[in-house]
Amino acid sequence: MSEALQKIALLGNPNAGKSSLFNQLTGLRQKVGNFPGVTVERKSGFIKLDDKREVEIIDLPGTYSLYPTSLDERIAVNALIDVNNKDYPDAIIYILDVTHLERHLLLLTQIADVGFPVLVALNMNDIAAQQNIQCDEKKLSEALGIEIIKINGRTGEGIDIIKSKLPQLLSDNKTGVRTSSFYELVADEKSLAAKVGVLLPVKNEYHALLLAHHSKKINFLKEDKKQQLLSVVQQNNFNPINNQLDEIMQRYNKFTPIVNTVLSRSFSNARTLTDKIDFVITHKFFGPLIFFALMLFIFQAIFAWSVIPMDWIDQQFANLATYLQTVLPNTILSRLLTEGLIPGISGVMVFVPQITILFLLITLLEEVGYMARAVYMFDNIMQKFGLNGRSIVALISGGACAIPAIMSTRTISNWKERLITIMVTPLISCSARIPVFAVLIGFIIPSFKIGPFNSQGLVFMVLYLIGITAALIASYVFKKILKSEEFSFLMLELPEYRKPHWKNVFYTLYEKVSSFMFGAGKIILMVSLILWFLASFGPKKAMQEAVNVATIESSLLNADKQTTDLLIASKKLEASYAGYAGRLIEPVIKPLGFDWKIGIALITSFAAREVFVGTISTLYSIGKNADNMTIKQKLQQEKNAEGKPVFTMAVSLSLVLFYLFAMQCMSTLATVYRETKSWKWPVIQFAYMTGTAYIVSFVVYQIFK
Amino acid sequence: MSSPKNITELQIGENAVIGEFSNCHVACKLMAMGLLPGSSISLMRKAPFGGAYYIKAKNHYVALRSNEALSVLLSPVL
Repeated sequence: MSEALQKIALLGNPNAGKSSLFNQLTGLRQKVGNFPGVTVERKSGFIKLDDKREVEIIDLPGTYSLYPTSLDERIAVNALIDVNNKDYPDAIIYILDVTHLERHLLLLTQIADVGFPVLVALNMNDIAAQQNIQCDEKKLSEALGIEIIKINGRTGEGIDIIKSKLPQLLSDNKTGVRTSSFYELVADEKSLAAKVGVLLPVKNEYHALLLAHHSKKINFLKEDKKQQLLSVVQQNNFNPINNQLDEIMQRYNKFTPIVNTVLSRSFSNARTLTDKIDFVITHKFFGPLIFFALMLFIFQAIFAWSVIPMDWIDQQFANLATYLQTVLPNTILSRLLTEGLIPGISGVMVFVPQITILFLLITLLEEVGYMARAVYMFDNIMQKFGLNGRSIVALISGGACAIPAIMSTRTISNWKERLITIMVTPLISCSARIPVFAVLIGFIIPSFKIGPFNSQGLVFMVLYLIGITAALIASYVFKKILKSEEFSFLMLELPEYRKPHWKNVFYTLYEKVSSFMFGAGKIILMVSLILWFLASFGPKKAMQEAVNVATIESSLLNADKQTTDLLIASKKLEASYAGYAGRLIEPVIKPLGFDWKIGIALITSFAAREVFVGTISTLYSIGKNADNMTIKQKLQQEKNAEGKPVFTMAVSLSLVLFYLFAMQCMSTLATVYRETKSWKWPVIQFAYMTGTAYIVSFVVYQIFK
Repeated sequence: MSSPKNITELQIGENAVIGEFSNCHVACKLMAMGLLPGSSISLMRKAPFGGAYYIKAKNHYVALRSNEALSVLLSPVL
């Protein structure tokens, strides 16, 4: 390894405290990306060593062994057995949880056998003390032949020692490398390993055996090499699964006696704290009840409490725009700033409170160990729809806003289940649909009492239920269509309950919020600038004429300044490119009962569904401060060319259902693009949702008109 | 002799010792997670809506879907 930045991988079993150590080592000097070609998150950070050398620390996905069972585990394993992998490390820091010493030694002895320089960070010593577990780490270090440093991932104790050991670990090829292998290959395996060694660059026999083991699923070799490898494996009648079982047993047989000599522990039959908590939390009846109470709390938090900071942010940007409008000369550039750019940035920032609150709560539940229990409880139901136990969190959060909900699916490790969750979550009615429903519901059904319920409230509820049902049906369809290479199983460790680690919570929040602002935010800003342009500009002559017509009309009406301005704004919008687009799509939306004015609103509300109300108000010259009541009254008076009301029951019902199903939200599409790293999925999502909306609205309008 | 019991046949709170696994993939994963032939386990709970089993072994806890639980065969407790 010459000039290139040297790499150190962090590796360990799930729940060993890997992310705490990673955060302690790298602080905010982190970079979150994806492993090439897949959507598994790749976290890395940079640190300066004592000898001024800078190295990259890569946080590899947690795994139990070098025999992966999921996509992210496979990523970790590929990085360790493919010498040409971009992330192939120069050395490894292995995080060893002392409270689960025995099984965590499996992976440690495996990577030591592959020939990596290894330094062990012995974690969870405080918890071990509470559980009366004493570990003689000197003895363990001697027995394993690997250096062990005691650390505390929470307090940062021992991190400096780890750092000080790194230069030596990297400088020669001997420090931290064991001379003998834990696993002894049998004769057959030796001869196979020798043949693989001729074919491919290998570090030692065990490395060669691993390549043979993974030959069927290997994706980093050239096709001819892979075929040669496969034929060698076949010639030797190598049975990977038996070899794997034998190897695991042999390793346990080797290190179990070591564990017994270095560890003093007493397992009492007394119920642990985790036992006691789980007695209630996973209870057949109270478990789901507590879960729904928690979800209701989260829903309430993102639905109601985030309104305060959201309104504040909205107001600040509005004030800024108003202020700039008064001090800047009225040029195109200043309008771009005050009418395009600032509202665009505001449209990104306004989601930050919701995202922050949702992730704060979800990360907390994850940190304490609750999420694994939720997966366990709901796995069965969700499985029937092709979803994961964790999908239920996204579906419920989607009731507030699909954006944080979709981002929350990152905790689902099965890619197919995660993708389905992402694809169906926007069908759940989010808070932005409420203003649209609220304005239109009065045209669908008059307000009256049905028992203790209000008729319009009931229609609202039915709309929500339609959304939920549609999401489940869509999941089922996706489940049948999508193929997955991962075989579906549930063998999930339920970690012991722990106090949340605030530093981890902070880093997670920081990373999620900034990835939203700079990832999805860029696209949202761009699209809102385009929409602003379309709604503000039009062919010069037509725009001028619109102003003239409006001025004449208002002088005939003897209207005051405010009404005149409204009328001008309305005529200009009609003459703008957005207006043209509205007319252009009119033939397409006519069968749904929509005219070209509604067409304009459909286009502008692609920025966000609630923009529908604002656009409609402008088009029908309703003052900006009008409440829902006056908008409704205005709309009721609206007549089409034949003198019939525009907003009939059929049109309104068709429109409400259209907004219920259609993918009318560019921010969500931008988020889906960011999460799936491909335009394929947002395009499919847009097509299937808006397609469904079109069909449903068409049928409903044709029936009720 | 009847075939050996598996996890799905345990009563809640019942203790048992893992005898063998009838599915190699399940075996590999569970062994890597620390559940070996000879490990003593107890069934803590069954999932509220069925389909999953929550077991405890020494000081760790694992949830299994029915399919996986079926392939963990138990040896009789003496």
